[in-house]
Amino acid sequence: MTGFNDQPTAGKLAAPLSPVSPWRIGIDVGGTFTDVALIDSAGGIASIKSPSRPEDPGEGVIAALAAIAQSLGLETEDLLRGCALLVHGSTVATNTLLERTGARVGVLITEGFRDSLEIRRGIRTNPWDHRTPYPPVLAPRYLRLPVGGRIDRHGNEHTPLDENSVARALEIFAAEQVESIALCLINSYLNPDHERRVAEILRGELPHMPISVSSELAPVAGEYERLSTTVVDAYVAPRLVTYLVSLAERLTVLGLSRPMLLVKNNGGTATVDEVVREPVTQTLSGPAAAVGALGYFGKALGVRDLISVEVGGTSCDVVMMVDGQVAVTDRLTIGDYDTLVPAVEVHTVGAGGGAISGVDRAGVLFAGPRGAGAVPGPACYGKGGEDPTVTDAQLVLGRLRAGAYAGGALTLDGDLAVRAVSEKVALPLGLSLQDAAAGIIRVAEQRMFHAVSFVSIQRGIDPRGFTLVAGGGAGGLHGAALGRLLGCRTLYVPRLGGVLCALGMLNSDVRHDDVRSFLAPLDHEAGDQVESRFEAMTADASEALLREGFSDDKMRFERDLDLRYQNQQWDVRVRLAPGEALDPDTARARFEEEYERLYGHRQPETKVEIVKLRLTGFGVLPTLPTPPAPGAAAPEPPEPLEIRPVYMDAARGMQDAPVYAGIDLVPGHVLAGPLVVEEQTTTIFAGPGDRLEIDHAGNYLIHLGES
Amino acid sequence: MTGSGAELDPVTLTLVQNRLDHISLQMGWVMTRTARSPIFSQAHDFSCFITDPAGYILSQADGLPIHTGGGGFAVRALLDSFSDDIGEGDAFVLNDPYVAGGNHLPDWVISRPVFADGELVAFCSNRGHQSDIGGGAAGSYNSAATEIFQEGLRLPPVRLVERGKTREDVWRLLLLNSRTPNLMDGDLRAMLGSTRIGMERLAELALELGGETKAYFGGILDIGERRMRVEIAALPDGVYHGSDLTDNDCFEARDYVIRVAVTVSGDHMTVDFTGTDDQMKGFKNSSIANTYSAVYTALASFLSPDLPGNEGTFRPVEIIMPEGSLVNPRPPAPMTMNTIIVATEIIHSVWQALGQFDPARSCAGWGKNSVPTMSGRDDRDMPFVMYHWAGAIGAGAVDGRDGFNANGGLISLGALYLPDLELYEQAYPVRFIRQQFRIDAGGPGQYRGGTGIDYAVEVDNPAILSLRGEGLYNESSYGVGGGFAGQAGHMQITEQGGAAIEPEKYGILPVGPMTLELKAAGGGGWGDPLRRDPYLVLRDVRDEMVSRRAAEEQYGVVMDESGRDIDMAATGRLRSRLSGERNRG
Repeated sequence: MTGFNDQPTAGKLAAPLSPVSPWRIGIDVGGTFTDVALIDSAGGIASIKSPSRPEDPGEGVIAALAAIAQSLGLETEDLLRGCALLVHGSTVATNTLLERTGARVGVLITEGFRDSLEIRRGIRTNPWDHRTPYPPVLAPRYLRLPVGGRIDRHGNEHTPLDENSVARALEIFAAEQVESIALCLINSYLNPDHERRVAEILRGELPHMPISVSSELAPVAGEYERLSTTVVDAYVAPRLVTYLVSLAERLTVLGLSRPMLLVKNNGGTATVDEVVREPVTQTLSGPAAAVGALGYFGKALGVRDLISVEVGGTSCDVVMMVDGQVAVTDRLTIGDYDTLVPAVEVHTVGAGGGAISGVDRAGVLFAGPRGAGAVPGPACYGKGGEDPTVTDAQLVLGRLRAGAYAGGALTLDGDLAVRAVSEKVALPLGLSLQDAAAGIIRVAEQRMFHAVSFVSIQRGIDPRGFTLVAGGGAGGLHGAALGRLLGCRTLYVPRLGGVLCALGMLNSDVRHDDVRSFLAPLDHEAGDQVESRFEAMTADASEALLREGFSDDKMRFERDLDLRYQNQQWDVRVRLAPGEALDPDTARARFEEEYERLYGHRQPETKVEIVKLRLTGFGVLPTLPTPPAPGAAAPEPPEPLEIRPVYMDAARGMQDAPVYAGIDLVPGHVLAGPLVVEEQTTTIFAGPGDRLEIDHAGNYLIHLGES
Repeated sequence: MTGSGAELDPVTLTLVQNRLDHISLQMGWVMTRTARSPIFSQAHDFSCFITDPAGYILSQADGLPIHTGGGGFAVRALLDSFSDDIGEGDAFVLNDPYVAGGNHLPDWVISRPVFADGELVAFCSNRGHQSDIGGGAAGSYNSAATEIFQEGLRLPPVRLVERGKTREDVWRLLLLNSRTPNLMDGDLRAMLGSTRIGMERLAELALELGGETKAYFGGILDIGERRMRVEIAALPDGVYHGSDLTDNDCFEARDYVIRVAVTVSGDHMTVDFTGTDDQMKGFKNSSIANTYSAVYTALASFLSPDLPGNEGTFRPVEIIMPEGSLVNPRPPAPMTMNTIIVATEIIHSVWQALGQFDPARSCAGWGKNSVPTMSGRDDRDMPFVMYHWAGAIGAGAVDGRDGFNANGGLISLGALYLPDLELYEQAYPVRFIRQQFRIDAGGPGQYRGGTGIDYAVEVDNPAILSLRGEGLYNESSYGVGGGFAGQAGHMQITEQGGAAIEPEKYGILPVGPMTLELKAAGGGGWGDPLRRDPYLVLRDVRDEMVSRRAAEEQYGVVMDESGRDIDMAATGRLRSRLSGERNRG
C-alpha cells in the first residue's frame, strides 16, 4: 500500500475541508509512510501520508499529525483538542518481532519441558526445503528454566509447586540481565493455581519487570502454542510499552483529552492501559484495521458480504466479511512465530504489481510469488530491474501509461517493459509480446483468485454475490478480472484505498476477546457450568470496558461455544443469543447445521463436546457520520484525457478505450467500459460490458459485465 | 516425452498446473478439517493426489514426503481390476501392497474417477493412515508379524460407492475389521468428502479444457520430466554407491543391507538396488510403491525442494528393484513398518550416493525413529491407540544448518507434526514427565547433528506396546565430510513397583501401569567439528546440549573459567593439536 498520496484526492472530495469539531483521527504507522485519516462531525474526510520514522516512530506520529493539521490550516494543539477519538495502529510490535530486536526474555516452564518452545512441534512449513534453518528461537535454552511442580490432566495438583526452583531461576535471570519474563506451566489452562502463585512471586520480587503469564494471555490447551504466545508477549513488551506510554504522554501534553485507542489483532481497539497487559495483541495492529474500513464501505454500499483484496507492490492480502463479520481466528503466525491470540483472518500471497515473471528451467511460465521489491522494482522503473513484472505487463498492454507514475515519484519506461517481457517471456515461449504480457497477468490473477478461494473454502462460503473491494496500488487494475473469476457482480475501488487502515481505525469499536479451553461433553450437566463461566468472563470484560470509560449501555457482549465431534480436532463455532441459556439439543442442532454446510456431512451417532468458550466484549463507539449527500444537479459528463489502445481480453485483443483523470470524476458520473481511470497513485481498468459509477462517497462502483 | 508439448499454449499450461495443485491442496484442507483421528489433523499422515486417466500422478499436495509419487500404483491397480467397469459416482477403496499398488496396509486409498461429458478424465485420490485395521496388534503395527496376513485387513481394489450409493455391506465389513470403528468411520467419510470436492473441481476444469484436457495433462507430466532432467544433467556423469542397514529382522540380530548404485548419464539416472539383501522375516520389507516413494523423497530432498509432485519426474529415473529383496519382496512377506524402515535406509543409501556426485550438498544421516505405538483402554474404558511421537529423533546436518533437534523423522522431513502433550493428556491416560533435548547426542560436525529428544511418560493403565525401536542401542545416523554419527537411542520401561527393563528393539510387549523412557537417536554432523564456529560451540555448552568435555574433545573448544566465554588461546592450541592427531590417525 505504499506509493499512494491521497492528499489531492481527499482535497477534491471535501475541499476545502474546514473540519467541524469534534473529529476522529486514525493514524496508521507503516514501514514507509504514516497514514492519517480524519472524519469530522459532518462526515467530511481528510487524509495525508507522511514519512515514517522507524528510528523514532513516536516522532513520526507527531510529524504526521502536524502535517494534517497544517493541511487543514490548524495548529497541532487545535487538532488534538478538537479530537474526540484518536485511534492508532503501529508496527512497533511487528517489527520488533520480525527484526528480532526484542527483549532478553527469561522463560519459566514446568520442569521437563524447557524445550517445547524450540521443538516447535517439529513442524517444517515446507518439508522439502529441509536445508533452510529455523528462525532463531526467541529465548535461548540457557534462559529457559524449570519450575518444579505439576498439575495433572484433571486439573489436580500432582506435585506441589517448588518455590525454591523459582528463586533459583530468578538468581540466574538477574545474573544474565533478563529484561522480561515469560511464565507457562503445564496444564495451567485447567488449573492456574501454580502459575498464579509464581506470577505473584515474580511481581512481588520484580515490580518493574514485565511478566507475561500464559493463563492470563491464552488459557487454552496446547503447551507449545501457549508458551510461544507468552514468549512473544514478553519479547515485544518492553519496547512496545515504552513507546506507547511515552506517545500517550506526548499527545496529552499536546492537548489530546481522551485516551488514545490502539488497534488490536482482532480488528477492535483498546486503551493503552489495557494493551500493556497483553502486548501480544499488537502484532497485527495496523493491517487488522482493514476490518473497520470494510464495515465503513459496506455501510456506504448497503451490503454485508464483502471480499477485500489489497494488491500492493509485493503481496495481495485477502480479507472476507460475511454478513457484516470478519472472521477472527485463534491463531496468528508472524514471521514463523506462533501465537494464540484472536486475530483478523488476513490471507497473504505473493502476487503484487512487482511479482516477477519468467520461464523456469523446465520451460514453464511463472508469475510470482517472488517480487522485485522497491529496488530494483519492475523493469519499467528504470532502476536496473531486468525481470518482467506484472506492472511491466500492464504497461505493455496499455493499461498503464508510460511517463509519470505514482504521483510523479516514478517514471515508467515503456521500452524497458517491452524489452523485459519479450526477452524473458515472449521469446522463450514463442509467444507474441501481447500474448506474453496477457499471460503474465492471467497467471498473477489466478494466484489472487486462489488466495480468495483459500479463504472462502476455509469458511465454507461461496463468494458469488459478494462485493469485491479492491485496494492497494494495483487493486484497480486487477479487480474487474478477479471479480469475474470469482463470480462477483460488483467491484468497489475506494479512492482512499491508500489510507485504508487509517480510515478503518475510525470505524473500530473497542473489543476484548476472552477465549478459554473448556473441555466437557455437550450435555445438560455442562449447561450450568458454562453459564457461570460465561458470567465470570462477562464480568472481566465489563470491568475492562468500564476502566476504558464505557457505561453499561455502551457495552455489548457476544458469547460463542466452540464445539466439535468427539475426538475430532477442529471446532465449529456456535453462538448463544443474548440472554439465551445453553440448551444442548439446540446447540447440537446449530453445530450440525454449520458442520454440514462446511463439510457436507453429519455424524449423527457421534457425541459432541465443548472445546472452548469465547466471550467478546465490545465498547460501542458513536456511529461514524456518513459522507455528505451529493448535490442535486447531475454533473457534466467528463472529458477523457485521451483515447488509447488498451488490451481488453484474449478474444478482443487491443482496442481503443477512453482514459479519464480521476480528479474529473465526481459523484453521479456513470460511464460505460471499456475505460481506464488514472488516479493520482492508482489506475482502474473496467472492461467492455462493465459500468462504472461514482457513488455518493466519491468512490468507484463498477458493475461487472459478463466478460 | 509425449511430444504433445509443442502444440500447447504455454500460458494455459501454467494455469492448468497451478489449478491442479490448487485442487489437490483443497482436498487436503477438507481432509485436515474433517478427519476424526489425530493421525490426520496432527500427524498429517495422508496425501491427496490427482492422476490422469491412466493412473499417473499429475499433482500431489500436502502429506508426508514418503507418500509422494507412489500413489499412481494404486490407481493403476484399480484400472487393472475394473478396466471399463468404472462409472460416474463410483468410489473405490484399496490398500494391498501386492495386488493393489498399496505402500503398506494401514494406508488406505480412496479413489474417485472423474468424468467430464461422460468421459473418464482423471482420478482424485486420498491416501490416509487408518488408526486400526485389525491384524495381530492394535494400531496395526504388528512387529511380531511374519506374514502380511497378520498385519490386518487386505483390500484389493473394492468398489465402496456405486453410482453415488455407498455399499453399506462393504462399509460394515470394513468397520468390523477395525478395533477403532468409530475413528475409521469418520476418517473414511472425510476421505470420501475430500475426494468428492476434488472430483467436482476437476470436472469443472476438464469441461473448460474440453477436448484438450488430455493434451494438457500430458504437458503437465512433461514439465515434471523436464525439471528432473535439468536437475540430473547438473550432476557429473558417473556411478556412485551407497548403503545403509537395519541390524535385525525383528526377531534376531542380523544385518540386512540396502545397497544402491546410482548412475548418472547425461540427463538420465539409474537407481539400481541390485545387491540388496533378500527380504526378511519381519515387517520391514518395502513394497514397490514405497520403494518408489523413498527414492523420490531422497532425490527431491537432495536435488531441489520445488520439483513438481507429478510422476513425469520418474521418467528419466530408472529404478531397478530385484524381486525377492528388501525393496521388492515376494508375498506374503510382512511390511507394515516399511514407510519408516526400510524407507529411511533407502533414503540414506541414495543420499550417500548422491553426496559423492556433489559433496557440498551431501546430507548427514538422520537418527532413526524408535517410537512405539501403544494400545489399551482409557479412563472411560474406551479403546485407544497412541503413538509416542513426542520422543522424536535428531535430524542430520547439512551445509549451513545444524540438524533439527526434534523431528518426526526422515520420511516426513517435518511434515509429521509432533503433538501438544497437553492435548495428548486429555486424549490418553498418561502423564508426561519430560520432553527435552539430549546432551552430546547430536553428531559432532561443523554443523552439528540434531540432539534427539529425552522423553519420559507415565502410563496409568495397562497397555500393549508394539515396539519399533530401530534407533535404539546402536548408532543409526552417519556423518559426512568429516562429521560424525549421532548417539544411539535408549529405551527403558519401569512397571509400577518393578525394576527397569531395556526392551528389545521390536516385539509386542504387554505392560502394566508403567513409566516409559526413551532417548531418541541423534542425527549426524556435517563437516569437520574442528571447523565449527567456536561461538556456536559456546552456545551449545551454555545451552547444555554439548558438555564442556565434548566441546574440548570433539570440537577443540575450551571454555574460560566462568564457563560463559571461550578461552581463545587455549582453543587455538587445542584445535591445532587435535587437527594434527586426527590427520595422523
